[in-house]
Amino acid sequence: MRRWIAFNRDLGLQLLALYLLLIIPFLIALLIFDRLIGVRIREDVQASDLSLARSISQEAELALTKALKTVEGLAKYPEVVRSDSAGMEAVFEVIINTSPDINLVYRLDANGIMVYHYPTGPTSTVGDDFSFRRYFQRALLTDQSLISEGRISPTTNQAVATAVMPLWSAEGKFLGLVGANIRLESLSETLTAVVSEHQTEGGLQVTILDSAEQIIADPDRQLLLQPAGHIIPGDYLVNFNVENHSQIITAPDGEERLYTHAPVSNINWDVIVSRPTSSAFATQLILRRVVLVAAAAFLLSGLFFWVTLTVRVIRPIERLGPISASIGLNQPLSQAEQEQLLSESGRDDQIGHLIRSIIRLKDSIAERMKEQATLLETSTAVVSTLDPETVLNRILEQMGRLLSIKMYAVIALDEKNGSFRIRAGRGLSRQFIEQLSIQPTEPDSVTMRALHAKEPVQVTDTETDPSYAIRKRRARAEGYRAILAVPLNTQYAPPTALLVFHPTPHVFTHNEIQLLTSFANHAAMAIENAMLYERSDMRLREQTHRLEALVQSLHDGLILSDLKGAVIYANKRVGELSELSTKTLMGMHVDQILARIAAKTSGKTHRKNGAHKVLNKKGEQTLEIPQDGSDRTIHLRLQVFNVNDEEGIPIGHGVFFHDVTADRELDRLKSSLVSTVSHELRTPLAAIKGYVSTMLADDVEWDYASQHEFLTIISEESDRLTNLVNNLLDLSRIEAGSLMLARENCDIREMVNRAARQAYLSPGNRFEVRMEAKLPKLYADPPRLESILRNLIENAVKYGGENAKIRVEVSRQAKDFLFRVRDDGPGISETERQNIFESFYRVDDSLARLTSGTGLGLAICQGLVRAHGGRIWAEPQENGACIAFTIPANNAAASNNRKKPKRAVRQ
Amino acid sequence: MNINVLVVDDEKPLRDFVRRNLEVRGYKVSTASNGLEALAVFKNEDLQLVIMDIMMPHMDGLEATRRIRENSHVPIIILTAMGEEADKVRAFDLGADDYLTKPFGVGELLGRVKAVLRRANWSEPASPAERIVRGEIEVDLERHKVKVRGKAIDITPTEFNLLVYLMKNAGKALHHRAILQHVWGTEYGDEAEYLRVYVGKLRQKIEADPLKPHYLHTEHGFGYRFEA
Repeated sequence: MRRWIAFNRDLGLQLLALYLLLIIPFLIALLIFDRLIGVRIREDVQASDLSLARSISQEAELALTKALKTVEGLAKYPEVVRSDSAGMEAVFEVIINTSPDINLVYRLDANGIMVYHYPTGPTSTVGDDFSFRRYFQRALLTDQSLISEGRISPTTNQAVATAVMPLWSAEGKFLGLVGANIRLESLSETLTAVVSEHQTEGGLQVTILDSAEQIIADPDRQLLLQPAGHIIPGDYLVNFNVENHSQIITAPDGEERLYTHAPVSNINWDVIVSRPTSSAFATQLILRRVVLVAAAAFLLSGLFFWVTLTVRVIRPIERLGPISASIGLNQPLSQAEQEQLLSESGRDDQIGHLIRSIIRLKDSIAERMKEQATLLETSTAVVSTLDPETVLNRILEQMGRLLSIKMYAVIALDEKNGSFRIRAGRGLSRQFIEQLSIQPTEPDSVTMRALHAKEPVQVTDTETDPSYAIRKRRARAEGYRAILAVPLNTQYAPPTALLVFHPTPHVFTHNEIQLLTSFANHAAMAIENAMLYERSDMRLREQTHRLEALVQSLHDGLILSDLKGAVIYANKRVGELSELSTKTLMGMHVDQILARIAAKTSGKTHRKNGAHKVLNKKGEQTLEIPQDGSDRTIHLRLQVFNVNDEEGIPIGHGVFFHDVTADRELDRLKSSLVSTVSHELRTPLAAIKGYVSTMLADDVEWDYASQHEFLTIISEESDRLTNLVNNLLDLSRIEAGSLMLARENCDIREMVNRAARQAYLSPGNRFEVRMEAKLPKLYADPPRLESILRNLIENAVKYGGENAKIRVEVSRQAKDFLFRVRDDGPGISETERQNIFESFYRVDDSLARLTSGTGLGLAICQGLVRAHGGRIWAEPQENGACIAFTIPANNAAASNNRKKPKRAVRQ
Repeated sequence: MNINVLVVDDEKPLRDFVRRNLEVRGYKVSTASNGLEALAVFKNEDLQLVIMDIMMPHMDGLEATRRIRENSHVPIIILTAMGEEADKVRAFDLGADDYLTKPFGVGELLGRVKAVLRRANWSEPASPAERIVRGEIEVDLERHKVKVRGKAIDITPTEFNLLVYLMKNAGKALHHRAILQHVWGTEYGDEAEYLRVYVGKLRQKIEADPLKPHYLHTEHGFGYRFEA
């Protein structure tokens, strides 16, 4: 399976397989053809050899038969039978002359003695006994003619075979024989002729063997009468009688030959034709060689083709694979890969073309990627802020970067002027930006055309374009020759277009226009976003603003931070506390701000320590911070809390500075009240205890006058104590808002005098009352009014000194009675005058500074005056102090204070 | 007995009470109704004792005490309506010798007056050694002078008496009560806060580092010990 996949994936393997698929059947066909042709050729060769052998054998047989006929004819001659030499001479002579094959005719007698032979010649054998000859022996046994084995005739000294005819008398007596020697050389000549005929076939060997397997005829005469074993392998000789006439056998000289034989009928001779296989099957061999060469050529060319294909096509394609993959992913190519690409891009063929287009593809992908990245950045910029100006500027910057254009602008309808003005531009002169104004009524302006057509419109050359003729001057002044306007697809925002200028005549390509359209869309998006945001989020923003205004105006400080402690929000109060602007606070660390606020508690080490603890602790902490420019201290309660999201996961911290100064002041007020009351009560008590103990003392005997004096003081001090307690009760009622006034018409002078009597005037004091003439009675609560006056007179005595002149003035002022209590003492300082009624509330660690009586006395006065619906203040004057208060004259003024009580509270 | 006492109080009845009782017992008494008047009297007269209220108009008793202390060691008894310890400590800090909490009876008044006067005039019985030297501290008993590291220091009578008592008993842990009765008088015994203030003031004057005392050691829950 895996191999199959590998095969499927490997083009080289597939091509190899296809090649083999084509070549193998062809080779097989070639082999079969070779085999068939081989067999055929062999058969042909064998057949031709056989027919050659047969024709030779027939020829030989013919010659022999002729010789036999000749001797048979001779045997009929009486001269021969009679063995008449003279008669034989004539007969034989004829024979010799007519038969060139026969070189000797002779007559042997019954004993085998040569009787006569013709031609006689120099070496006559007449008289010689030839009875030893085998043919003679054979002749004795037959009356048929026969052929002897090959031999050397002693008479002619030539190789011959003899045709023999035994001569028998009628009585059956053997009379000898007549023989004719057949010149074997003549047979050989025949063979030589045959061989020479077949000379083109080369190596053809034709041999005739006799029954004794002697070479009877052969083109090579030297071999005559030699045993056949010399030239013909024994194996073949042994199998002579086998049907298969042809056989390939290695000749004695080592050469492989094809042997074919044909018997010469009746005489047991054989014609053997042989030829070397090399020549016999030459055609077949040539053919086979051709086949082999063809196969080799196929293989070689296939291999060459495959290697070429691999090197030139498959390898480059394989290498292109990962490169194109990495191009697709926009990954940078390695140096080696780039070199490869470059080296192969120079090819002129399809591969080179492919590589070049891949390189182009790569470049274009990189460019597209860059464009996309810039567009993405632009999109990010569009969504990152809702300020259209910022976004527009960013888009313009990106455009300049990506498109390598120098002059471009965004033009929009200025709804105020009703004309198109440049909103943002790059590379353009300020004058151009400020002065360019296109009226919507200019239909032939590029901008208006683009906006109307809702598609980009360009002027490729401002000099030649007729529509631009009237604006030529503007173009020349600004230095552009081509202009492109791309409309922004806006719905809510005013019509807007993107303008791109080119300093030379320029045709904006489809690609450029497409990109610019993209930018235009982004710009449109930014503008629309901002518009929509403004519309849809207005209410939310208002709400947020309201909420923020609320938080900002809190008297308490609030810091919100992220989980790391960086400040996300801090309200105004925090800014005041830390003396930093709200902007500075943003992004600071909470600890820094806390440390800054805590640092203001400096001077008191324990406070500092406390502040440090605050930074490290969650929960509530209290800080005391002295306020600049006064002795007041701000008390802050710090609450550090986690801010959780809807699922309860902490998303930040909050620090809440709760201003507890008022609470603290109240606490202080309470303890101050207790101390003051305690002091106020102790003062008369001290006098009482002092005089009582004086009278009780054993060591001194007081006279009656003194005792009386002491008892008077004790009594007065007791009254004072009672008054004080009542005042305190009133004060608590005033505080609780439950003071009931029992108003009645009262005489002012009487009340002033009564108050003065109770006020412990010193003997040195001069007391004076000045009243406006004809003052009506005052509708007021007499004991309370008396309390007010007595307190003020007492203060005047205390502060004015024992010799002070004290004056009470009463007058009408509009609807009020105005009371003034003056003394000529040291007076009240400016700052004291402002705080005198607050002194009771003064925040101070100790009451030591509270002068006796003032705290409670003035507080009580103030409470009672206010209960009457009047007001009290300290008046500035050159010498001494002056406290003034008003009491409303009519009933109505008082009635809004409180319902007329059912039962007057009196003491 | 020619003892001149200044009574300062803004409340006439109380002022009169103190004045009458002291005069009847042979003291010469001047009065003032506030701090400023008190300072005026103090300038003009030779006083042996000042009895001063704290809360008064124009200038309160504490301020007046501080100013008097700038020039004089005259014993001062503070009158206060507040019994809180913080106020006593403050008064002592400013140089008061004793205090009386209102209301108080004649007995208490006279007791404190006598004790304070006795302390101020207390002189050690003649001793063979009129000088005590412990470490770097040198006390001249006859002339009521103290030198620390060779430098003479300013010291009030009560401080002087306390220092001498502690130095004479150097090395011994002394109980609060014992110190109070020996230095302030037999009427005293429970006023441990007096000691705290006075020891603190002494440390300021004689120790090189008051926070790490070398001479005056605190025996927690018991008393003090002088170590040379």
